[in-house]
Amino acid sequence: MNKRRPNPKQVPDPNEPLWRSTLRVAMPLNLSYIPIGLACGILLHAAGFNTLLTGLVSLLIFSGGAQFLIATMLTINSPLLSIVLMLFFLELRYALLSSSLSPYLKGSSNRFLFMFAVSLNDENYAINYLKFATDKKWTGREALMVEHYSLLFWAASNIVGSLIGSALKIDLSIVNFALTALFLYMIVMQIKNRLTIVICLISGVLAAVCMMLTKSTLGLVISTIIASLIGFGLEATLRKKLPDSHWLWRLRSPGSKKEAVEHSDAN
Amino acid sequence: MNAVNTWNSTQHFWLIILGFIVAFIPRFFPLMLFTKRAIPEWFNEWMKFVPVSLFTALVVKDIFIDSASYALLLNKYSEMLAAVVVIIVAYRTRSMAISVIVGLIGVFILSMFMA
Repeated sequence: MNKRRPNPKQVPDPNEPLWRSTLRVAMPLNLSYIPIGLACGILLHAAGFNTLLTGLVSLLIFSGGAQFLIATMLTINSPLLSIVLMLFFLELRYALLSSSLSPYLKGSSNRFLFMFAVSLNDENYAINYLKFATDKKWTGREALMVEHYSLLFWAASNIVGSLIGSALKIDLSIVNFALTALFLYMIVMQIKNRLTIVICLISGVLAAVCMMLTKSTLGLVISTIIASLIGFGLEATLRKKLPDSHWLWRLRSPGSKKEAVEHSDAN
Repeated sequence: MNAVNTWNSTQHFWLIILGFIVAFIPRFFPLMLFTKRAIPEWFNEWMKFVPVSLFTALVVKDIFIDSASYALLLNKYSEMLAAVVVIIVAYRTRSMAISVIVGLIGVFILSMFMA
């Protein structure tokens, strides 16, 4: 093969075009965005967003959590400033996601990083992080394509949800549970050992206490910082003092062989 | 629950623009900074625990905290039960779509019986 292709990807069929092999990686995520995107579109419609703006918010903010939050806060008539502040705290977590991807994107231009950051999201992060870690041929270019596929599916299902919302009457408190279920799913996917479960419990209690004390969602940020520091400290102490502690044993779930990303094992 | 919002589309538009800015800053600047210089090891070790802490806090907010008064709520039984179901389903299937759909159906059915 002397044709100079920047990133010949390792796939069963070496002639498979790049757009198709990345689409195959992104497809499980794309499909799971459909129900959540529909729910989000329905809620945004109920909050008064028209279909065009629903499309715009999905493209520009591209975060299930943030868009559900906008919808909820608009229905209780929160002022603009407090919505934006809440969004800021909610979106702060991306600082952590993007710093953890940065070792794989060294040497990229600022323009590329801009494009990459705009369409970064929890779920496509999970896919790309796993691919970067397991597939040496995975580069920023493929990762950006995965991001764009998921963005496309997300925006389309939001728009369809907005149209459904204008046609049907739907109980919104139930649709809102889609977000809770999404976060629960992401927690389960993060649990790697027993220590993580302890951190979950600590974080849950701290979150409730902090929110009751601050009477605002600022409590979320405070409790997240404290709980993650406790986790960091506990893990470092355990590794030093009791390296064989059963708290550090890896948990394997029945489904963990079938990862969210297909063909992730780079041969 | 009806839409009681009185904002017009221009206000929605500015909300989106401001939302874009606050969503963009934490995604872009760490990426720009840390692709040019190394991340300290301890920072990475700490960051590992942030997503799980934040997601748990958000779930607690959805299920146990009243969205207007920030008081503790312990009577959302259908959501609590549905949450347990979602955890089990997510653990066994590892599928985001199945977890969310089962959660929605679960909370729908449970709320019919538990009002």
